[in-house]
Amino acid sequence: MTTELRFETVDTLKVRDAKDVEEVVRAAIASEQPLEIVGHGTRRQIGQPMATNAVLDLSALNAVTSYEPNELIITVQSGAPLADVQSLIDSKNQQFAFEPVDISALLGVTGSGTIGGMIGAGLAGPRRIKAGGVRDHLLGAHAVSGFGDSFKTGGRVVKNVTGYDLCKLLAGSWGTLAVMTEVTLKVMPKPESERTLLLSGLDDLAANRAMTAALGSPFDVSGAAHLPNSAFRPATGALAGLGSRGRAVTLLRLEGIAASVADRADSLARALASFAAAEMLQDEASAAVWRAIRDVEPFAAGGTLGAWPVWRIVCPPAAGGALGQALAHDTGGDVLYDWGGGLIWATMPRKPDAQAGLLRQRVEAVGGHAALIRAAEQVRRDVDVFQPQPAGLAGLSERVRHSFDPRIILNRGRMVRGAAT
Amino acid sequence: MAIMMPAADQAVLDRREAIVAALRAIVPGEGVIDTPAQMLPYESDGLMAYRQPPMVVVLPDTTEQVSRVLKYCFEQGIKVVPRGSGTSLSGGALPLADGVLLGLGKFKRIREIDFDNRAVVTEPGVTNLAISQAVAHAGFYYAPDPSSQIACSIGGNVAENSGGVHCLKYGMTTNNVLGCEIVLITGEVLRIGGKSAENSGYDLMGIITGSEGLLGVITEVTVRILQKPETARALMVGFAAVEAAGECVAAIIGAGIIPGGMEMMDKPAIHAAEAFVHAGYPLDVEALLIIELDGPGVEVDELITRVEAIAKRSGSTTCQISNSEAERNLFWAGRKAAFPAVGRISPDYLCMDGTIPRGALPKALTRIRELSEKYGLGVANVFHAGDGNLHPLILYDANKPGEMERAEAFGADILRACVEFGGVLTGEHGVGIEKRDLMPEMFSEVDLNQQQRLKCAFDAQGLLNPGKVFPTLHRCAELGRVHVHGGRLAFPDLPRF
Repeated sequence: MTTELRFETVDTLKVRDAKDVEEVVRAAIASEQPLEIVGHGTRRQIGQPMATNAVLDLSALNAVTSYEPNELIITVQSGAPLADVQSLIDSKNQQFAFEPVDISALLGVTGSGTIGGMIGAGLAGPRRIKAGGVRDHLLGAHAVSGFGDSFKTGGRVVKNVTGYDLCKLLAGSWGTLAVMTEVTLKVMPKPESERTLLLSGLDDLAANRAMTAALGSPFDVSGAAHLPNSAFRPATGALAGLGSRGRAVTLLRLEGIAASVADRADSLARALASFAAAEMLQDEASAAVWRAIRDVEPFAAGGTLGAWPVWRIVCPPAAGGALGQALAHDTGGDVLYDWGGGLIWATMPRKPDAQAGLLRQRVEAVGGHAALIRAAEQVRRDVDVFQPQPAGLAGLSERVRHSFDPRIILNRGRMVRGAAT
Repeated sequence: MAIMMPAADQAVLDRREAIVAALRAIVPGEGVIDTPAQMLPYESDGLMAYRQPPMVVVLPDTTEQVSRVLKYCFEQGIKVVPRGSGTSLSGGALPLADGVLLGLGKFKRIREIDFDNRAVVTEPGVTNLAISQAVAHAGFYYAPDPSSQIACSIGGNVAENSGGVHCLKYGMTTNNVLGCEIVLITGEVLRIGGKSAENSGYDLMGIITGSEGLLGVITEVTVRILQKPETARALMVGFAAVEAAGECVAAIIGAGIIPGGMEMMDKPAIHAAEAFVHAGYPLDVEALLIIELDGPGVEVDELITRVEAIAKRSGSTTCQISNSEAERNLFWAGRKAAFPAVGRISPDYLCMDGTIPRGALPKALTRIRELSEKYGLGVANVFHAGDGNLHPLILYDANKPGEMERAEAFGADILRACVEFGGVLTGEHGVGIEKRDLMPEMFSEVDLNQQQRLKCAFDAQGLLNPGKVFPTLHRCAELGRVHVHGGRLAFPDLPRF
């Protein structure tokens, strides 16, 4: 039985396979009706409000096509739940080394979403400084472009330079280039043990210097975060215990085989002795703290700062301390640092523009960029959610987008303000 | 020449004198080379079987000059082939008879070393090794280490997404570059990324890396530098059968160990290398693994013990462990000299570069052996075993009629087998002209069209490095056409909500 695809109301079209995706996109082209691409919808609140008339729902494309632990790869359909895939690879003692961010608590939604959403958003956690981001682990993809054509790019091996690496573009493109249907990701062995050095009482500048020293050491630091005293508002969770100390904490993570971790922890503590004496968090206590940092728990939607907008700022790491300190001061808000200062999560009292002007001026001055990850729809309509680019770069980005989706069928307007109209 | 290049444009060639004069007005003095004798060094890159003198060579030394040269070529409809050090093994820098060869060799300055941000800002003509040398005093290095690192330029590394022995653990070029300054064919200068871990918007750095000089000309690169591991030690393990060596590789990875490097050589490669550098390689084994572990001393010692035990379980017949830097370097000496070593036992050789899933190693070796018999040509195998990247060296004599063609056909069959086994045509050398006509083995027309559309976003006239990577050239207007399938489309019933 067949029916005709109409866009008389906002339809949700639940596709079953890549062929369905092709047909839905082709129908959308024919009827000039843009589609919103959705897995579980976890990250729907991120981006400029879109001008879309129907929803393409990928959640039924949820199969694990193949998992080969010895090849360090997994191939899954894009609608596969991230949580399920993570527990599957966990059963073989493997993981996604880039530590995908679970954005649900920050946004106040449930579930960690799908693999496709994880790639489209491209949000990596604390280990990005060592292991790279989502883009570094996406090896291959099958996708449907805005031409309505299924294409593939990359492959199922790590070492591959055959043709343009379109995977890099798909990661972090927020569904605006193509609808991924199946992807191959690199997986890595889980470290056998971990330990976190905890330095108390450093101000943001000193913490930034300590993290810079740690990341410039040979001790292979896989996480470097700083929580200023003010960031300790959560009353529950892994960070609450640290917060009760009433002082800022700087956290440095070491992972690997136990003997090596112990050895490096001692060496690093000695190297950083001039900043502060180090306490140690072991295995599960350490892991819980890093999960909370990864997921930006202090700024959770259900917490005391839950009503404030949240910015994600990426900048040269050594500039982070001064930038974050100034932002917290000038906006009356709060910050927390990851990536040795190279990633700042900032939240601040509500203003119609989420203080975009002030914030971006400071961020741009150090060569960074900022995205508004949490804000009310009206604010996201009025503000550039993603960092506006200089004209030349914006022009090239638009030509790149156009080369995948000339009719702007996919997630129309999500990445560039004004593009929806 | 077995591979056809785009036909030369006679109208451009007729204007050669005017073009040379115009380029001289942009790049003064010795920066424009137009005599046959002086252009000789530029007529080939590392794929030396292919030679073509360019129309003219230009060696600018500022971004502004690059921009003006490209703008001029764009306005005049002249093709441009960018070149770094010319070490490409896939013919990526092969000139065109009617094209300007744009050499970046004068961009030789490291602009900034920023230890706090663990970044180096450099001009593209700086060699890969020079970056590591410039930061070595502070214990840092630049991780990707292609075998040609003493000569190859960082700009070329970005263009080719170069790998190396250590990319199993530390990634390829794409995982170690942060930003660049790029000049488009229109002359427009763009800055992408910087010292931040990631860029905003689409990952243009990611697409430029490995684009083989087809998207733009890089005039500055920002790379990430790392602290050198405290120690490195290597094991040299021999096996009586290639299958056992392949099993050992899988078992090491399966045990959660990612060595700094894991290389395999087969018997002909072992013998050639040993005769050349006398590294003490065992000559009675069928396969040799060199496995390097790096990190803190205590970790390396522990992992050496674990790997040794895995090797034994996999049936190793010999196992040596380095106890000094000198010994470790000796283990590597043979592997690093494998290509020139093979050059001593054969007048010519063709170096292939496919990647396969690790598990397919034994199968691939069997196939290569069969093909070697079929084509009547010898082959020595050197692999980056850890990531399944094969470098079969096909031995031939170019002076014997038909032998080069036979070697190329042999090579093409090996790459087809790589794709058949679930792998890819090229792991690190690039498509260039060498693998261009094999692209349809791996990609459908639709796949290739999407890649070429992206090319159109950067270079709509197709003037930058045409004839490389893509077997068929299409006009951008034709590629950009959207096929509309009727006003409404009947399609299978989908659940709606």
